[in-house]
Amino acid sequence: MKGVLTILFMMFFVGSMTAQTKDVEIKTSAECGDCKVRIEDKLNYTKGVRFAELDVPTKVVTVRYNEKKISLEEVKEAIAEVGYDADEVKAKTDAVKALPACCRPGGMKGK
Amino acid sequence: MKKSIICILCVFFFGTLNAQIKGVVYGSNNKEKEPLYGAKVKLLGANRGEVTGEDGKFELILPKELPDTIVFSAMGYYPDTIVVTKKDRFIALNVTLYSDQLLPEVVVSVKKGTHSISRLKTLHVEEIGSGELRKAACCNLSESFETNASVDVNITDAVSGAKKIQMMGLDGVYTQIQFENIPYLKGLESSYGLGSIPGTWIESIQITKGTGNVVNGYESMAGLVNLELKKPHEMEALYVNAYVNAMARTEINLNSGFKLGKKDKWSSGWLVHGSVLPLEMDNNGDKFRDVPNGTNISVMNRYHYQGEKMEAQFGFNAHWEDKTGGQISAMRNDPNGYYQVLRNARHVDVFAKTGFFSERPGHSFGVLYNFKYQTLDALFGIRDFEGVEKRGYVNAIYDGIFGTTDHKYKIGASGVYSDMTQRVDSLNADRLDIVPGVFGEYTYTGSRLSAVIGARGDYHNLYNFQFSPRLHLKYILTEWTDLRLTAGKGWRVPNYIVDNISLLATSRTWIEPAEIRPEVSWNIGGSIVQSFKLFGRNGSLALDFYHTHFENQMIVDRDVDVNQIVFKNLEGRSFSNSFQAELSVSPVKTIDVRFAYKYLDVRATYAGAFQQQVMVPAHRGFVNLAYLSRSKRWEFDITASIFGEQRLPVNMLPDSSLTTRNKGDVYTLLNAQITHVYKRWDFYLGGENITNYRQENPIIDAENPFSPRFDATRVWAPIFGVNVYFGVRFSIEQKKKE
Repeated sequence: MKGVLTILFMMFFVGSMTAQTKDVEIKTSAECGDCKVRIEDKLNYTKGVRFAELDVPTKVVTVRYNEKKISLEEVKEAIAEVGYDADEVKAKTDAVKALPACCRPGGMKGK
Repeated sequence: MKKSIICILCVFFFGTLNAQIKGVVYGSNNKEKEPLYGAKVKLLGANRGEVTGEDGKFELILPKELPDTIVFSAMGYYPDTIVVTKKDRFIALNVTLYSDQLLPEVVVSVKKGTHSISRLKTLHVEEIGSGELRKAACCNLSESFETNASVDVNITDAVSGAKKIQMMGLDGVYTQIQFENIPYLKGLESSYGLGSIPGTWIESIQITKGTGNVVNGYESMAGLVNLELKKPHEMEALYVNAYVNAMARTEINLNSGFKLGKKDKWSSGWLVHGSVLPLEMDNNGDKFRDVPNGTNISVMNRYHYQGEKMEAQFGFNAHWEDKTGGQISAMRNDPNGYYQVLRNARHVDVFAKTGFFSERPGHSFGVLYNFKYQTLDALFGIRDFEGVEKRGYVNAIYDGIFGTTDHKYKIGASGVYSDMTQRVDSLNADRLDIVPGVFGEYTYTGSRLSAVIGARGDYHNLYNFQFSPRLHLKYILTEWTDLRLTAGKGWRVPNYIVDNISLLATSRTWIEPAEIRPEVSWNIGGSIVQSFKLFGRNGSLALDFYHTHFENQMIVDRDVDVNQIVFKNLEGRSFSNSFQAELSVSPVKTIDVRFAYKYLDVRATYAGAFQQQVMVPAHRGFVNLAYLSRSKRWEFDITASIFGEQRLPVNMLPDSSLTTRNKGDVYTLLNAQITHVYKRWDFYLGGENITNYRQENPIIDAENPFSPRFDATRVWAPIFGVNVYFGVRFSIEQKKKE
């Protein structure tokens, strides 16, 4: 029983310990919780990204990625592809149009 | 009046009528945090909203179309927004607005647990969400409670493979199970019904401890378990789940929901399940199958209509199950005879629900209907059970408010028709139940105190009038502490044969009761739920205690004589005391840990002595550890359940000596599962009973199954050892309209 637990615990943490990874914070144009899901889903399924966590209030997404597999520019490009600005990289216009109204820039500004 | 029932919109199922959200708005000024008076709470785009009271509390009616955004604002504070989805409808929100003197970074961040005790509801309700249900990938409703401490799932005997739930140490028949507020798994399905609901059909489960609302019937004596199945308009467009385990049990589930027509008013959903267990397994070498073989097919087709003036649902459900247990087929020609356990269960079931919202806000009217036809044939060696049940149920409910939503009421009438035949050996228990009833319930929601006061009166064609009052109170002691109290009466008419059908797996003779009288119980209890912040994350401690006192009960006495099982009405006292403590903490961002301890004191007079009921452990523990990686693509889940000693009945052994050790051992069950998530694919690998704990010799005199000493009902631990399973899920969401 202890053996099983030990193995599972090791598996818990092994993923985050290997390879050269880099953490970066990118300011996005995310507006709401829905945007959070869109951006995190996109990045978490992008090769080379270990994880992405977006903080809605600050609009900052924290990304841990493997520099050998993906560059910072490619990460930002991926965010732009879902329809959001990523630091200096502007959102893809087509992608923005595809977003629901609440997720577009300024969508959460209530009157 | 009639015109006013022509309606604007209608939400359908009565628990969620008047979807609304409540909460408290706090203002934070440097380090000080206090309820904010006069903060504005409104839906984005709405012209008017609500204003918080002196204690910062607000209550907002949510629109039909969700998700929507709620805007919180107050002078001198940064405004904030929260997105609410349909799932959030009854969540209590605690929102903190930060003074605009502060840096703007700090605002709200909420992590919703997959298992939670609602802070909003007046009743003590535990919610098991879809995230929690994924943790136990196999197979049907009985496994869904694996990561929950309040409901125990027990093996009933060593040959049928059936599992039964227990709440507060009381048999599952004292817990009312309902499917979207329709009483379900009753009569012939009280023992084996859990297996008829596939796990992949379930969207969420709500567990209420103690007597529930009066609205849904009189039978919740120890608790109420409500199942929400997947809804046509919300479920996946396509969902496939394939599962296989080390016993070669193979399972396929297929769900599909889609819109009908161009206006999207109609939607339809199909839920299909098939499973087969072909291999005979006998790991303990007693020549009996550890798990019965067989096939199980369940199908549901349901429809949902959302119009501007009304909403309706209807559907049907069919279930077909053939199981073969007992001795392995190599024993077919054994000179001592071939002991077979057969179980054939069928049901067809039609349900409908209609609801209307009145022009007067807060008023609505709805009706539920259910018709069911079911048969159960079961063979235990030479003992043959046959049962047929025809059931009809209708419940009409009018919801209204007195002035404001602080004062709500429900009134209505229900009718139950049940025509059931049961026979086994020479025993016969056919009965026709016709039970019309009326009920009324008043809900007061104050700033701190809320109360639900209800009563129902039912007239049973054989047992006359029964009056069931119920009271639930909640008091918010502090921002972090909720107190709840409950007291109420429940009753049911026992079906002593089918309720105890697993006890046919013995050579003991059944002694039938002199007469059948309704079982009547009073349940009182209370709970404290303390929420706290630990390491900057939410945690909670819940303590609860319930006492159930039986005025009358169908007592099953297995102690009075080693050759008999005696059924009789209660003489003297019978009660259950149940205490539970549950602690949830999140020591690391990615890990949630839950500890629970339960003490059960369930006693009645057995064999002339006032003693603990058999097969109920006095002490029970539970630890659940859940890990979700930061990328949300890996889930690990481990659950350890500890069972204390259980009293066992005294049996006579083949050599005519009596069993000397009449207690089960203390043991631990360990289950674990790993899930890896891709965009549309999930893969899961799990193990059940990983420590391989088994009861040795679960069957007494297994060599001579037709001898008077044979007994397969003295079971207190798993019969099957470690089991490994693997499965895959594939899902495509329905397109959401904007």
